[in-house]
Formats: sequence, C-alpha cells, structure tokens
Amino acid sequence: MLTWEKDFGEGNEVLKLENVITHYGDVQALQKVSFKVEEGQIVSIIGSNGSGKSTTLNTISGVLACSSGTIIFHDQRINQTPPHQIVEAGIVQVPEGRRLFPYMTVYENLKLGSFNSRGRTALRESIQEAYQYFPILAERRNQMAGTLSGGEQQMLAIGRGLMAKPKLLMLDEPSLGLAPLVVEQVFETVKKINLQKITILLVEQDVFEALALADWAYVLENGSISMEGGAEELLNNPQVKEAYLGI
Amino acid sequence: MISIGLTLIFGVLEIINFAHGEFLMLSMYASFWLFQLYGVDPYLSILVILPAFFVIGLAIQRITIQPVLNSPPLNQIFTTIGLSLILQNVALFLFKADYRTVKTSYSDLGLNFVGLIISFPRMIAFILAMGIIAALLIYLKSTYTGMAIRALAQERRASMLMGIDVYKTYRIAFGIGIACVGAAGSILMPIYFVFPTVGSLFVLIAFVVVILGGYNSLIGSLVGGLIIGVIEGFSGFFISPHLKEAVYFVIFIFILLFRPTGLFGRK
Amino acid sequence: MTFFGREINHKSKALSVIIVLALLALVALPFLIRNEFYLDLLVMIFFWATLAGAWNLLGGFAGQISLGHTAYFGIGAYTSTLLYLNFSISPWIGMFAGAALSILVATVVGYPCFRLSSHFFALATIAFAEVLRLLAAYWRGLTKGGLGLLTPFKPGLAYFMFDNKMAYAYIALAFMLFMVLVSWAIQRSRFGFYLISLREDQDGAESLGVDTHRGKMVALIISVFFTSAMGTFYSQYFQFIDPESCFSISLSIQLPLLSIIGGLGTVLGPVLGAFLLTPIDVLLRGWLGGVFAGLNLIVYGAILIGAVMYFPIGVGGWIKIRWERWLKDKMGSPAISSKPESAITSPQPLKSREVNKADGQILFEVRSLEKHFGGLQAVRNLSFQIKRGEIVGLIGPNGAGKTTIFNLISGFYSADGGEMEFNGHRITGLAPPHKVCRKGIGRTFQIVKPFSNMSVLDNIMVGVFCRLKDPRKSRIEALTMTDFAGLSKHRFSPASSLTIADRKRLELARALATKPDLLLLDEVVAGLTPRETKELMSIIQAISAQGVTILMIEHVMKAVMALSGRIIVIHHGEKIAEGTPAEVGENKAVIDAYLGKGFRRGK
Repeated sequence: MLTWEKDFGEGNEVLKLENVITHYGDVQALQKVSFKVEEGQIVSIIGSNGSGKSTTLNTISGVLACSSGTIIFHDQRINQTPPHQIVEAGIVQVPEGRRLFPYMTVYENLKLGSFNSRGRTALRESIQEAYQYFPILAERRNQMAGTLSGGEQQMLAIGRGLMAKPKLLMLDEPSLGLAPLVVEQVFETVKKINLQKITILLVEQDVFEALALADWAYVLENGSISMEGGAEELLNNPQVKEAYLGI
Repeated sequence: MISIGLTLIFGVLEIINFAHGEFLMLSMYASFWLFQLYGVDPYLSILVILPAFFVIGLAIQRITIQPVLNSPPLNQIFTTIGLSLILQNVALFLFKADYRTVKTSYSDLGLNFVGLIISFPRMIAFILAMGIIAALLIYLKSTYTGMAIRALAQERRASMLMGIDVYKTYRIAFGIGIACVGAAGSILMPIYFVFPTVGSLFVLIAFVVVILGGYNSLIGSLVGGLIIGVIEGFSGFFISPHLKEAVYFVIFIFILLFRPTGLFGRK
Repeated sequence: MTFFGREINHKSKALSVIIVLALLALVALPFLIRNEFYLDLLVMIFFWATLAGAWNLLGGFAGQISLGHTAYFGIGAYTSTLLYLNFSISPWIGMFAGAALSILVATVVGYPCFRLSSHFFALATIAFAEVLRLLAAYWRGLTKGGLGLLTPFKPGLAYFMFDNKMAYAYIALAFMLFMVLVSWAIQRSRFGFYLISLREDQDGAESLGVDTHRGKMVALIISVFFTSAMGTFYSQYFQFIDPESCFSISLSIQLPLLSIIGGLGTVLGPVLGAFLLTPIDVLLRGWLGGVFAGLNLIVYGAILIGAVMYFPIGVGGWIKIRWERWLKDKMGSPAISSKPESAITSPQPLKSREVNKADGQILFEVRSLEKHFGGLQAVRNLSFQIKRGEIVGLIGPNGAGKTTIFNLISGFYSADGGEMEFNGHRITGLAPPHKVCRKGIGRTFQIVKPFSNMSVLDNIMVGVFCRLKDPRKSRIEALTMTDFAGLSKHRFSPASSLTIADRKRLELARALATKPDLLLLDEVVAGLTPRETKELMSIIQAISAQGVTILMIEHVMKAVMALSGRIIVIHHGEKIAEGTPAEVGENKAVIDAYLGKGFRRGK
C-alpha cells in the first residue's frame, strides 16, 4: 500500500462550501456553513445531535437543496445538481444508519453501488477489492442484507460506497450502534481506504474516534461552524466539551 | 400479469393505479383492430403492443402521475380515477358499446392432454404469460435498471445515493407496468371479448390478486394470480358464477382488514 | 371560519341579507318554474347537492375518501321500496328504516376500514359497494335482480309519491337545506373543529384530546343517513330502481367530483358543485349524448384531473379565500390588542390555574419501563420521577430513545413492561392518545404538526376544546393563548403560512391550551436562531411560572441546561445519569456517551 506525505494548506481543494444555507422543511438547519476539504485528507465534522451534520452531507449529495451559498467540487459548482449526477461526479455518501437494501443479497447491494457509469465498467475488480477490504462480505455474498449484524452491515455499506468509485467518500456516523471493537475495525478500514488516495469526509458523534482518525476537523454547533483545527489541538481543547454539553 | 403490472406500480410509486383496467381495455381494442384491419394475429401483435404500451406508460406517467406524486393521496386517487373515466369514455365514444372478439383459425381448437381437454388459445395464453413474466423477473433481477426499480421500492434515500435517477426510474417502472397490462390484453383477446368497461371487470380481480399475494411482492402477484386462476377454474362446479365475484370481494376485504400484507408482502 | 365578533356587525348584516335573499329565491323557484324539463333539472340539482353534501361531510371535513357511498344509497332505496311493496309500509318510515340499516352496515364495515391508509380505504369502499351490487343483482328472490323493482304510481303524501314535480322539488329542497344546515352547524361546533383537525393531522389531533375514531364514525353515520335517505327519494321519484342505477360506481365518483369542483370541505361547496355541474351534465348529454355517448364523462374525467392538479380547493374554496381576504383587509391588523407582538417583553398572563396540590409533590412516575421493537430494545428498565412544578430536561445522544419515551407516555406506543403513574392514576397502557391528553398530559412533536389549513386561532381552539365545549367561550380563551404565545399578528392566518419559529410557538400554545398539568416538549428550540431560542425559552419559563410541570427533550444544550432544574440522561434506552445540570456535565458516563469513551483518555 502506498503512503505519501500529507501537507496541509498545499493540497488541491477537492470540496469547498461557502456560506451554505439549507432549510430542512422550514428549519434553517445550516446557517452559512463554510469549510473545505483538501485532496487526500481525512476531514471530520463533529457536533452534537441536531447540529446539522447529516444535513451537511445531504446538501452536498444533492438530496437536500441549499437555499443559498455555493458548493464547489473540483472547481465545479454542484449546488443545483440532482443527486444521481453528484454520484456520477465522484462524491459518494455512506448514509447514516447504513440504509442497505434489505431484501437484496450482499452481492446485489454491492452491485447496485456500482450503478454509475464509472462503477459499472469496473464492476469485477471493484467487487474483488471490496471483498479484500471486508473478507466477511465474501463469505456472506448471497445472504440477505437485512440479516447481517450491525458491524457487517456497516462494512457492506462502506463497500457499497466504494463500488461507486468515489473521489470523495463521505461517511455519516459509521460508529452508530456498533460495539467499540467493531468501531475500531471500521475506522481501521477507513484509514486503509484513505491510503488508496480516496479523500474522506467523516461525520461523527464519537468525538474521540473521529479526532483520532482525522487530519482536520470542524465543530458544528446549531448549524454553524464554531471551531476548526487539527485533530490533536481539538482533542485537548476544553471548548469542544463545552460545545457538546453546554457547560 | 395484470396484477404484476399493478404491483410494480404500487411498490415503486406507491400509488394505486385506478386506471389500470382501462389500459387493459385499450390494448384489447388495439389487438382487435390490428387483427381486423391488418390481419395480425393477436399473439404476434404483442410484439408491437408491448413496446407501444411501454412508451404510452412513460408518457402518461410524465403527464399525469408525476405532478401529483407528492400531493396528498386524495389528489392521486382522483387523478387516476379521472384518467380511468376519460379512457373508458373515449373508448365508448370511438368504439361503441358492442362486444367484439377475435376469431382465429385456432380459437376453438382443443387439445387432449391426459384426459383433460385444454383449450388451445388458453394454453398459448398461459405459456406466453409465463414467458413474459419470466423475462420480466430476470430483467428485474439482473439488469442495472431492473435492480434500480427493486432498490427504489425498498429504499428511496439510498437509491438516490447510488446514483439512481429516481424520477426516470419511476417512469420506467410505470411504463413496464403498463406494458404488462398491454401484453395481457393481446393475450386475452382470442379468449374473451372486449367492450369499453371490460377493464373494470378484470382490474377488480387484479386488485384481489395483488392484495392476496402481497401488495409489494411480484412473486406474490404471480402466486396470487395462479391461486385465483385455479379458483376460477373450479368454482364453476361448486359456486354459481355470479357468487364467485362476490366471493372474491369478500376475500379482498378480509385480507385488507386482517392481513394487509398478503401472502408474500413485507413491511 | 371564525366569526369576527362585534367588529363587523355590518358585514354580517350584509351576509344575512344575501342568505335570506338566496333562500327566498330557492323557495320560490319550484313554484315559479312551470316547464317540466327545468323543474326536473331543479329536482336533480337539489338531489345531487344533498348527496354531495353528505359525502363532503366524510370526505371533505373528515378527510376520509369513500368511493363506495353508492352502497348506502342502494340500501336506502331497496329497503324502503321493498318494505313498501311487500308490507305496504309508508316510504317515509321506510326511509328511516333504510337509513338505520345503512348506518348499521356502515358501522360494522367502516369501523375496521378506517384503520387502512387512504388508497386502501378507497379501494375497500369500492369493493364493498361492488359486493352489495352483486348481492342485489343475484339475490333474485329478494330484489328481483336485474329486473329491478317497479313502484306502481299512487299519489299521496303518505305514499311519498306526487303527481307533479313541484312537490318533489320542495322535498329535495328541504333535504338540501337540512343538509346545509347540518354542515354549517357542524362546522362551527366543537365537533367540526375536531373533524377538520383529524383530517389535517390525526396524531396531532389525538395529542390534543380529539377522539379521532369516534369523530370518523359520527361523520360516517351522519353522511350515511343522508345518502340513504336520498336513495329512498330516488326510488320514489323515478319509481324504478335496479342494481345498475342504485349501486353504480359512477354515482360514487360523482359525489366527490361535485364536492371537489365546488370546494372540498366547505359548507356550500357541494351545493355549488351541484348547481354548476348538473346543468352542464344534462346539457352535455343533450348535445352530445345521442351521437357521442360518453363524451360528457370524458369531459368529467378531464375536469376531475384538471381540478385535482391545478385547482384543488374548488370554486367554493376560492370564494372562501377571497371572502376571508377581503374581510381581513377591511379589518386591518387586529386593533384589539395594543400590546407588543413579541412575547419577551410582556407575556400575557394566562388565567390563573388552580394549583390544588403543593409544589414538590410527585406528579409523574415511571417504573422499570420497557419497550422493544422486534429485536431492538428501545427502552430498558427506565425509572424516574417528576415533581410538580419542576422543569426537567431529558437528554441523550441520537437514537437514545427519548422520543420513544414521550410516545410511551403520551399513549402513541404501548409499553412492553413497567408502570407509569400520573397524578395518582395508573396510565400504563392508556390509549388512544386522546385519553392521555384528557388526563392532563400535553405534548408537542419533534416535527411540528400544525393543522395547515386552519387558522392559527382555530388551531389553538382545537386545544381549548379539550376542556371547554362552547365555541364562543373557547374562542375567547384561544385569543388569550394566541397573545400569550406572541402570535397575535397571525391569528387569522393559515398555519401553513407561518415561519418555523412561529409554528413551534403554535405547537406549544396549542398543547398548552389543553390545560395540562404535565407538558412534554420535544425539541422545541431545535433549528431556531439564538434570538428565537431566547424568546421561546422565556415563554417556557412563563409557562412554568403558571404552575405547569415540564419535561423537555432537547439537544440544544445551552437551552436545556439553562432552563432545567434537573436533568435525566438517556443512552441506549437506559438512564445513565440524573442530577442538576452541573452534576450531569461532569458525570463521566455522560461524557463518554456524548463524546466517546476515548475522549477523556485523550484529555
């Protein structure tokens, strides 16, 4: 596996949000959110519930439309683009709660992940890759996705995301509902994926795991970014705790 | 097959197509006229009708259904009912109320099979229907679009994130649903007769099949259809044919009330 | 829908004049029209108006779309006719007998069917009507099947048969006026508010004490009564009935059609629809019928689709909006209250509540509560107490089970184990939710559920009706509540036009209107700007000062920490900590739950 130096501030901007405002129903869920992700990084967005983390990912993915502001991906404005085209462009989300297709097999779920054009051509090798990352999936390839354990489901969800050949992979709370040991495994794999030059945007509630993995992090509070910094700094910052517990 | 079309539409788009029967009626008329005017055998006309109805389905979906997909159920119900009214009466207007049927060289042919006499047209109908259904199931299982349709019925949010164009898939699903009904019409033509309200007759049975089999299960529709078909066949002996219809409806209401998911349905 | 009190006496005078004139005209018409054809048309208009009005009660007001109303029509027609033909019972009595039978059938069938979702409900009603049609067609012994029943002509009041159409016209008119009167009375009454609320949002209505099931049944019964009666009328007018005409699906479709075109859910909508469409129908049939059979129905179908897509409120709805808008313009912003709109500066005090127990006593207690969904344990061995007068915060990470707990308390879910006690009463297993509301527990919803098509004031009135029955008194009470919540400026605006902050206030005010002892607030400040949050917080404090005990779920930590006297922390469905905000903030289990176990290590 390749390793390379990660320099901050020198890399290409893969993703950039500027003053994005999104309404969820009538609630102003994102209030002028701005941040950026550089190529090859693992960037984490942390924040307590209701802070707007999922809304951020869903806005980027086009599932929610932002009311104002811009989202730029590889120098292209992707604000008003429909979700399937955003996947086509290379941004893939592994949604909160996994959201697998419960009545389809592991294999079928993976195959569906490769729905977009780049994924389809690489179907064979992507499947092999997925099985390499997650050997357990190979074992259970003909099992119904709905019958897998929590950890296996999360792995399938990530594998499915990879099938789409993402340039930017976004993960929404991958640790949700998983036992600590499984969480560690999952995060290990995410690290491996990143080493394959896939940029990662990670939304997490488990602050420690997120900061342990990420290069850079943003803290989201009530729909706006209140802090940012390198993972190390934030780990030792008492304000982070305050952001979560209000004290 | 009619039921499979209905199930497909309901499972994916989550609306009940009250106009489904009218499409059946239309395709039967189409078969009829193709035969009358051009001498095309109804079974062969499937080759034309199936794709034609698929396109018609796409168009109808875009024009009338798509706008109300996010409206309250009231609007959706009345849109398809309005559609049904229009189609029924256009047919009445164009074709008058007479019963018409198609008589081909083999219409009255019967085959002797292990002591049972099977009507030839019905046998062909069965084979063709099974064939089309099988093809459909394979399509849904293995092609990307087919899988997209199944995925959309199960998980809308994730489907979007896979790069599936939701609205396009809705259209295709609807189109296929109508195509199924179209094919059904052609197959039925030699066995039955057509008149403008024939749609209601069949569609009510189709609804029973759909509910019996499970409203979001295609296999359920298949099995349900077979069960009802068998009941049809034998009921002539035990129950007066008219009461048979009543029996269907009672089954229908029963299932809706006590086991809305039917035999194979989920959720 | 609400009246405007004393301010527009002159307006209501104008309205009364119009009404009286219209009535006079209607009463005069049957007498004045001599032409048979037009008289017949008039009879049909009144006939359809009554039927559509009856359907509208269930379909428009209560929102239950029945496509099988022809069933009751047929039952009414056949019952009275058979009774008359076989036992010489006057059709007037037969009418009531038919109605009674229809109501019986409706209750038996309707009761379970209401559980179905709208598409399936519509389907079930169609199927049901079809069964009856088949029954009528093939039970020849009873109904002579397809031959139909012919009533020999014998004029006389007792026989409900007359030799001139004018009498029929007056009877039909009487029915129509009665129908309109009933609709109008319902609309202004508590029952009417309840019906519309259950149409708009059933869960929201239940949480305010509306017995939605009973509401639907009563609406059904009234609707069926009129429908059945018109079946009898039909039989007496045409003197011939058969299954095709009495149990016809096109009749079932005609009723909603008329209501939609005329204005769904309005009192006069169905009447307007009948007045508009019946002549058009007859005309179309006249022009096109002979040659182009069915063309009129094509037009109908097109009108239906068009109406549903582009003009769903119908002519009546359009008129109503114009009328209300005109009135609002004339009124200007309400001059009644000269107090500022914002509630921060001076929240209007509520009428003082009886606090019959001292603060500090245990108001609500949960013991060993359990709830699981399939294999997932959502709530596990949960126990806590809430004392009167407290503000208690309920916090915990995503998916911890907090809203589930609220749903268990308010009766939307049933517990799998454990006990809940409120005010000394056992409320475990108390359902449906309206009963819990009646006991004194109110709640708001995480995703607000306003009754979109009702005004702000009307929304709150639904809540007030939980304790008060009289519409006039309720309105006054509701006005006070509106001011308290700072919504005075919007009191007559439809709920759908409010901003999210105002909707949250509406939700709060509405729940408060039910005079709860315990108020459950589910994420009320989520998604608000800091300023809006502060405003809402002061409203909550004012509510607490009035003696209402509050249990609030919140994620906005600053808010919940500031407001609550005590906090309960839930994680994975279990209570992991309890105490003052400061204690909880330092609690290591809590920190682990929120920030991840490693966080403390990292520090």
